[in-house]
Amino acid sequence: MKLRITLASSLFALAAAAVPATAEVSPLDLVQPIADYKIYVSENSEKLVTDTKAFTDAVKAGDLDKAKSLFGSTRMSYEAIEPIAELFSDLDGSIDSRADDHEKAEKDPEFTGFHRIEYGLFAENSTKDLEPFADKLMADVTELNKRITELTLPPEKVVGGAAVLMEEVAATKISGEEDRYSHTDLWDFKANFDGSRKIFDLVRPLIEKDDNAFVAKVSGNFDAVDATLSKYKTADGYQLYDKLTDDDRAVLAAKVNTLAEDLSTLRGKLGLN
Amino acid sequence: MTKVEKGLITTRRGMLLGVGAAGSALAAGLGGAPAAETQGTQVTDAPVSDKTQERQPFYGKHQAGIVTPRPAAGMIASFHVLAQTPAEVERLFRTLSERIAFLMKGGTPPAFDDKLPPADSGLLGPVVPPDNLTMTVSLGSSFFDQRDWLVPHKPVRLSRMKASPNDALDADLCHGDLALQISSNTPDTNIHALRDILKNLPDLMVLRWKQEGSVPVLPPKPDGSHESARNFLGFRDGSANPDAGNAALMDRVVWVSEGSDEPAWSQGGTYQVVRIIRNFVERWDRTPLGEQERIIGRKKATGAPFGGGTTEHDLPDYAKDPEGQVTPLDAHIRMANHRNATSDANLILRRPFNYSNGVSKSGQLEQGLLFICYQADLERGFITVQRQLDGEPLEEYIKPIGGGFFFTPPGPLDETDFVGRTLLEATGHAVTRIKS
Ligand code: HEM
Ligand SMILES: [Cu+2]
Repeated sequence: MKLRITLASSLFALAAAAVPATAEVSPLDLVQPIADYKIYVSENSEKLVTDTKAFTDAVKAGDLDKAKSLFGSTRMSYEAIEPIAELFSDLDGSIDSRADDHEKAEKDPEFTGFHRIEYGLFAENSTKDLEPFADKLMADVTELNKRITELTLPPEKVVGGAAVLMEEVAATKISGEEDRYSHTDLWDFKANFDGSRKIFDLVRPLIEKDDNAFVAKVSGNFDAVDATLSKYKTADGYQLYDKLTDDDRAVLAAKVNTLAEDLSTLRGKLGLN
Repeated sequence: MTKVEKGLITTRRGMLLGVGAAGSALAAGLGGAPAAETQGTQVTDAPVSDKTQERQPFYGKHQAGIVTPRPAAGMIASFHVLAQTPAEVERLFRTLSERIAFLMKGGTPPAFDDKLPPADSGLLGPVVPPDNLTMTVSLGSSFFDQRDWLVPHKPVRLSRMKASPNDALDADLCHGDLALQISSNTPDTNIHALRDILKNLPDLMVLRWKQEGSVPVLPPKPDGSHESARNFLGFRDGSANPDAGNAALMDRVVWVSEGSDEPAWSQGGTYQVVRIIRNFVERWDRTPLGEQERIIGRKKATGAPFGGGTTEHDLPDYAKDPEGQVTPLDAHIRMANHRNATSDANLILRRPFNYSNGVSKSGQLEQGLLFICYQADLERGFITVQRQLDGEPLEEYIKPIGGGFFFTPPGPLDETDFVGRTLLEATGHAVTRIKS
């Protein structure tokens, strides 16, 4: 382990703030994990296209029940690769923005994408007038898939993505405000955690030898999240977010915060800026 | 800094230079610019305080922040605690104590590699000033109830706060497993302390709610005397508080002492009550002065009681006023403290802050009192006093919306100790006293 710290004047601070170690990693070591991640991202963005097709077809066919039932699962491949999808901010805005991102909220013409359709299906309980939004969503995810294929993944964005996913959950998802009409938030959670863990697992061999304690702690926390989420698993997905008990919500919040805190050191540990 | 600002500064300096030394002396002589302005002060210069090195002791029989004089800025933060096992709770208590010891003392946080997030938020600069900070740790009823091994050791009177008749409690502002009272000279110091705790204990505590408050600062009085700060109703708050400098009185009123029926581990601790009490200030400001004073039971300007008192420290004489001719029987201070043969048993030590949170849906100010009080006996203290106050005329102007009951364990004795150690030992969990 290579400790790169300047000695602190305070013993107390030292004792409490576990001093992070930085591993000796050369840029070449990252080539394979990044290539593997690229495959993961492509698989997900392709699945997003397929799933969105089925979802938007149901919306356009006026099949309310089917559209509702596909909403939670369709989003998962988007949520798993959100840090990469967010690199295209125009598309992220039109695919995944929420009503409160827009001045006129639900009535705002700029409010499009998954959550606009969710609003129609679950809040207004109808597929009426959703066709243009369905077409736009389909066009957007197709465009996203195309851009992702052409994208060279910046290593710091990939590695940083593990923490970004946790920051998103911590800042705006743990409250249940992401899928506020459908309450399918646990689907999103699962995808966000899986996406974050994928990144962690890919770079894990690079830090394991130097910092086994860190690796054990992070994977332990991912396991704990899985265990909590699996309590809410149903045959075809997850229970609605309002079924989550306050205690489990606190457990998830603590795990998310801890993962966010620990994964925020991942870039540094791998020598990335 | 923007170009415009730079431009202005250059222009002003340029002008001063242009007219030369004699010219600027002339300008100053004409009373144009005050001295400070010509010495290059800038709009965004930090305001200065000679109190940033004020330090409160962390170690002692009692936790700091209770009989400690109330500084200008306060905060209550309430947490959900994830620590379940004795070992986890020990780590929680120890880490809290280590962080508090550092923050109250001040110092330089460790420097990490700059590819890593820094150890400290840095919002107070690279060297953390103590700034009169105290952080007081208290435990809620649920902290004990939800851990089987702690249930037998719960303070006898610790309960979950129940709504009083005038309350409109918001579940998101109530209760908690653990409360931190953070107070210091500046709100920024409190926020820095809170962020430090959040960063260092993400796996064992989750923040549930917090309320910040302040008290107005007064200039020192030439004769060295002190007066109580005012609350948002414009009245002095704290005048009739029991004397925190009187150790024997505090042993009786505030601290759980030997010989009480409370668990031995809790001796030197105290019950903490937090109430977020909204004040309808617009309505209050439209109430005649005389009525305001009758509702409280004191003169607004001086804080003196009725019946010839001249200062806030004069005492009302209810024995001579059984009909309430002088101090109405339903005045806040009279209902809160009957000042009779038995009412001494109901004394509490109040340490409140004023809070201001923005605007209600109806366009009114969301502000009021972050009421905090301490007492050795929760039932004879706050609960009894509040019951006496139920139905008081002041209720038309106030609405309690949040808060909770907590127990504040005794203080850490020295550097080998930590807050909560006596509780853990009482459960049979072996604790090593090492200097951290
Ligand atoms: C927004 C709510 C409140 C306001 C504006 C308020 C205001 C005041 C004022 C102006 C005084 C007189 C000065 C002083 O002795 O401090 C006072 C006294 C007092 N208040 Fe309150 N108060 C509030 C809530 C409470 C609550 C909730 C309690 C306890 C349940 C309480 C207990 C007392 C006591 C014990 C005294 C001293 C009475 C005496 O010994 O003469 N107050 N309060
Ligand atoms: Cu999203």
